[in-house]
Order: sequence, then structure tokens, then C-alpha cells
Amino acid sequence: MSFFIIKDKEYPKLLKKIGKDTPEKLYYKGILDDKIFENCLAVVGSRRMTIYGKQVTEKIVTELASAGLTIVSGFMYGIDATSHRVALIANGRTIAVMPCGIDLIHPEYQKELYNEILSNNGLIISEYKEKTQPAKWTYPQRNRIVAGLSQAVLIVEAEEKSGSLITANWAKKFKRKIFVIPGPITSKNSKGIMQLIKEGATPISSAQEILQYYKLQITNHKLQTNPKSKIPNSQMTIEQKILEQLKRESLGLGVDELARVFAMPVSQIGVILSMMQLKGLIKQQGIKYYVN
Amino acid sequence: MLTKVKSGASSGLEILGIDVEVNVAKRGLPGFDIVGLPNKAIAESKERVKTALISSKIEFPSKKIIVNLAPADIPKEGASYDLPIAVGIISCEYGYSLPEKSLFFGELSLDGSLRHTKGTLLLALYAKESGFKNIFIPKDCANEAAIIKGINIFPLENLIQLCAHLSKQKLIKPFVYQKKIEDEHLFAEFDMAEILGQEQAKRAVEIAAAGGHNILMVGSPGAGKTMIAKALPGILPSLSEIEALEVTKIYSAAGQIPAGSSLINIPPFRSPHHTASSVGIIGGGQRPQPGEISLAHRGVLFLDEFNEFPRSVLEAMRQPLEDGYLTISRSKERIKYPARFMLVASANPCPCGFLNHPKKECTCSLRIIQKYKKRISGPILDRIDLHIDIQPVDLKEFSENQKLTEFLENSFSIRKRVLSARQIQRKRFLDDSIFTNAEMKNHHIKKYCKISKEIEKILQQATLKFQLSARSYLKIIKVARTIADFDNSLDIQINHIAEALQYRSKEE
Repeated sequence: MSFFIIKDKEYPKLLKKIGKDTPEKLYYKGILDDKIFENCLAVVGSRRMTIYGKQVTEKIVTELASAGLTIVSGFMYGIDATSHRVALIANGRTIAVMPCGIDLIHPEYQKELYNEILSNNGLIISEYKEKTQPAKWTYPQRNRIVAGLSQAVLIVEAEEKSGSLITANWAKKFKRKIFVIPGPITSKNSKGIMQLIKEGATPISSAQEILQYYKLQITNHKLQTNPKSKIPNSQMTIEQKILEQLKRESLGLGVDELARVFAMPVSQIGVILSMMQLKGLIKQQGIKYYVN
Repeated sequence: MLTKVKSGASSGLEILGIDVEVNVAKRGLPGFDIVGLPNKAIAESKERVKTALISSKIEFPSKKIIVNLAPADIPKEGASYDLPIAVGIISCEYGYSLPEKSLFFGELSLDGSLRHTKGTLLLALYAKESGFKNIFIPKDCANEAAIIKGINIFPLENLIQLCAHLSKQKLIKPFVYQKKIEDEHLFAEFDMAEILGQEQAKRAVEIAAAGGHNILMVGSPGAGKTMIAKALPGILPSLSEIEALEVTKIYSAAGQIPAGSSLINIPPFRSPHHTASSVGIIGGGQRPQPGEISLAHRGVLFLDEFNEFPRSVLEAMRQPLEDGYLTISRSKERIKYPARFMLVASANPCPCGFLNHPKKECTCSLRIIQKYKKRISGPILDRIDLHIDIQPVDLKEFSENQKLTEFLENSFSIRKRVLSARQIQRKRFLDDSIFTNAEMKNHHIKKYCKISKEIEKILQQATLKFQLSARSYLKIIKVARTIADFDNSLDIQINHIAEALQYRSKEE
């Protein structure tokens, strides 16, 4: 087990700038790499992640992490855990800040993710020693460190009076930039986001906008297909037509709906969808299909 | 004077021959005793027989009567000994000789008439196998026993009629089997055409019906899971003669064949509630009775709210799901009940039911959802070939778009396809003593599901992509076999495998 105190050279610089909120002592696990604290972005959101939330987190965090941002989050299930996971898949760096003692894993059943973070040059951080149990008040304190480590905070989905809004409040207090991803107005998880937008947070729809703030370039990511090669509708194969249809529907389509749209027997459309999945063109989440 | 009357005792689906020995002694104090391990129902038989004889204007001898049920060491139960005991007394007292090679079986009513008694089909089978020629049974069960050809069935209404027959004053005519006219009628609560949308679920149920596959439907409340399950009997083909006899035997043993009814050739549809007891569902009890899984033999066992069933009940279902029968062992007997059923299960995706719902929000935490899903063990899920997610249908879409409702296929035409797929299977498995694709074991799969190089490649791809287990791999091949049977295709083609992949378990 290792730790750093305020006076140490390695102590995260940004975290020193939050006045009396700066933790005296910070425990960590993992290999310390001097670049890991350089471009930190906190990505937080609802524990009750919707399919939409998962989809946008996967899309945007992949681009951010592969562009070199360190994704900081709180290791809770939902958006937090997804951000960590996606950052690891994109070969990016990630830091998980724990609400409990450094020797505990909370929640316990995410042990696999915990180990993966450690084995992929990630960092686990906590201000609590040994096996301190998490308590109601340690979660907001953990959020303070999540916000304190990062130049900016990205909030994906947030209910009213949720922990994500506490993180946003810390960020505001520390004068950090707040980005939010707008969601459908019918979702509970958009209520907190709406509130933040009204208070001046920056709504974004692509990773580009955050990267510009960090003055980084998108790397290692396939650019959008060139719009020149647009094929007339009549010449499109059924696979292309399905892709077009799925691109239009942000909330995805189920197999029954696709069968109705294309007036095909469900057995046939099922064959096509299976093959498209195997080719990696589309993916299935729950009942719905999405463009990969 | 001593008379021996032949009868039978049921033990599971078997009948054991029982000699009812009646002795009416000329000496001794008047009395009436039954020995030979009778249970309560038989002990009370004394009172029924006595009153029935008196009601029939037959004098009850005021002598010492001893009835012995031999062999004496087998425990006996049920009211079916009323008739042989009464016949024995009449024969002793009035000197009527009993017809040779005859069995007597039935419960008496106090007025001397005969009541419907369970197990007469089994008795008729036993009679035929053991070389008996005549059986005397209550009239209400005559049509049930008459399924078995080659023996004379004498339908009895009351004791007076029997006395007239025995004294050769007025003979009873042997019963002639009456085929029920409504036999071919389809019994389903809903027609498939009544279900709007749910195209994939309907297709999956069709495949399940054709191949006898087990199917699990997961979806929010109101999505139509129960409706689809209840429409299923309408697309199932009637039972073949062998199957029908198997099913009728179980129902006969359970006493579930109504008076006047006969061969059951409609696949049974059983839907026990999740609060039903383990014995009720699996079978058993002090005198082992068939449970719901056996009553669903060659038919459908529909378990609504699958996650709510006690784990012990679901686990006990594992062996019958694999072997198609259940063995109940007791210290005195071992009884085997067939239980080759098609499991149709439905479940909510989470405790609140609204996970993945298009409009409502789920209020369950991840941990609760995981706990809920864990209630069904892996081995049980492994035995389910088709997994389907069901989403509520937007009824508005259908009311606005007339076209969508125009082409809804009805159960009758789906049933035709199912029937032809079943016939192909029957032909294929002629030498394998199985009926459906779902029953295929590994060696059958090797023999009948030849996989080309190209398909193997696709399956390998799918295994990686969807993280399929070895067992799901085989399940996909089995389902693809059924889909190929719809096309009357000898080999499994790529599109059959691709469609089968749609119905894989997405939890792995």
C-alpha cells in the first residue's frame, strides 16, 4: 500500500488547488505514472443507467480515452463503472476514487473491474485508510476528490438530487468546467442534466467539444464515413437499409419493429440481423439493435 | 362357502393382480371384516357394500363374513374393491357362479349404483396382458377402458343389473368403443391471429411447438407472454396413437378422466401456479401420484412467473427435463411416471417488471436485478433451447395502420406447418425411439445435423462474439434443425443457423 501527502512532489497538482478541501493524505493502489494526473476528466452519472446512457458513454468515452484523457470516476455501478470499463477497452487511462478504505472493494461484485483497472495501469485512490467502511457521508467526500482531480467534469445521466449533482457542485466550487450530455426530456435521468444546463453547464453531443477544451486531437478513431458515397435508396442492400434506419432511431429498434418497417417475415429479418451482428455492423442491447 | 374374485390394485401406471377372497361362514357370530392391509377407504367399504346390497333389495347375510385381499403384504387403497367384495358376497350367498377370466373393479354408491372409478384404462391394459377376457366396471368409465381392444367390457349401472347378468336372467351387452366427435377440435384460449405484433415471439413459439423445444419468454407485465402461451395449444398437432395412450394412462391413474370420456389425443396444457407444492408439481406423496410435470406429458407445462417458483421445485425438474421421466422411490415401491413435456416459462425481467420497457422506468437497483435473475439456476436455463425477449406492443400503431392487422396468420395455418415439421421428425427418428428434435442427444445430433465447413465457421464466429457455452452451441444446432425442417431441408443451411442465433440465451 502506498500513499502521498500534500508536500510530496507526486501529489496531484490540481487537487492541491482546492483550498481547505484538499485531502491531507491520499492512499493509492497501482503504478504511479507521472502523466496520469495530467489531463483528467471526471465522467459521472446515474447508477440507474439507461440503454441510452450506456450507448453515449460508450461512444464518447471511447473517443476521449483514446485521445489521451484520463477518465476519473467513482467506481459505482451504472455510468461510473461503464466509463472505467470503456476507458480500459479503449486502452486509455482511468482512475477510480473509492468511498471506502483503500483495502476494500466497493461494490464488492465489481471485483473483476477493480482488478482490470489495476492490471491496465489504472489507479485506485482513496483518502480513507485500510478497511474503513463506506458511509453516507463518504460518498459526497469521494465526489469532492473526483471533481478535484479533474480539469472538467462530464455528467451523462443524473436524476434530481443525485450524487452526480453533488459532484457538479464540487466542480463549480473548484471552478472546473462542467459538460453534460443532454438526454430525452421524458427520462427521469434527464432532470438533473436539465437543471445543470440551466445553471450554465455546457451541453455537448460529441467528444470533439471536450477535446477542444483540453486542446487535444481525436486520435485512433475512425472518422465518419465520407458523405460523398451516398447510394440511392433503391440500390441499397437490405443491410444498408437497416443500417440507415437504425442510424435514424437513436433509441434503437427491436426485431419486430424492423420486420414491420421492412414488411418482411420476422424469420428472414432475424437471419439478416444475426449475420450483421456477426459482421460487427450492429449490436444488440436488451431488446433493441443499434448501429455499432 | 368361499369365493375368489379377481381384481386389481394400481401402483403408479401398473396394475397388480389382487384376489379378493370372500368367505361367508355358516358358523360363528355375525360379523364383517376385511384383512390384507386395507387402508381407511377400504375399511369403510364394509358400510358401503352393506348399504348398497340392502338398497338393491339383496339380503345382506347375517353371518360371519371375512374378506381377504391377497397378496396380503401389499398395502391397498382406494374404493375400487367395493364391487369385488359385493360380488363375492352375492356369489357365496346365492350360489351364482362367476364368469371365468373376469375382473371386477369399481366403487359402490349407497343406493347400489356404481360410481366413476380411477384407473380403469390401466385395468383394461392389465387384463389384456394377463389373459383376462371380461372386465366388469362402472358404466361411466366404460369408454375409458374400451380404448383397449380385444376384451369384453361390461358396463355396470347398479348391482341389480349385475345380479340379473350373473343369474343369466338378463345379460349385459359388452360395451362398444365410442369415438368422441370433438376429438379433433382445437382447444386454445386465444388464436394466434388475436395477438398483435410480437412477431418474433410467435415465430419462436412456432419453432418450439414444431421441435418440442423448451422456451423462456422474458418481458414486462402486459407484454403478452401469457397470451402467447395460452395460444400455443392451438398450434400443437394432435397426439399420435402411442402418445395418446401414454397420456391417457397417466390421467387414468390420476383419476382425471371425466365420466364418459375416453382417449386423450389433444396435447395436455398444464399451468400450475407458483404457490403449488413441490409434490403437486413434481409428483409424489405417500402413495406416489403423478404431478403436473407428468400430467403435462407429451404436452405443455406452462410456468408463469418462472422466477417465483421455489428453487427446490425447479431443481427437481432437472432430471425429468433431461430424461423424460421421473422415478419416485419409496421403501415399498419404485414408481416411474413419464414426464416428457415442453416447458414454456415466462418471467419478468426484474422485480418491478419494467427493465428495458420503452416507456416506463425501472426502479430496481442492479443488485436486486442480479439477485432476481440468479433465482433460476444455470442448469435449468441450460435446458431451455429458445430464449425470447418480449416488449409491450404499441397498440396505437396497430389501430392506425390497418395493413398490419390484415396479415395476421391464424393458429390453423401455423398448425399445418408445425404438423409437417413434426412428420419429418417422426420419419427421421423412426429407429431412435424419440419423437422430436428437442429430444436429440449428442449422438443424434452427430448423425442428423451435418454441419458444413462454412456453417462451422459462422458458429465459431458466433461463439466468440456472443460467448456461447458448449451447451448453447448444441442448442443452436438443435433449433436450427427444427427451422430446417420447416423448409423441408435435408441439411442445415446458413440461414437456419443464423435464425437460430436469434433465440440464444443473451445472459451468458
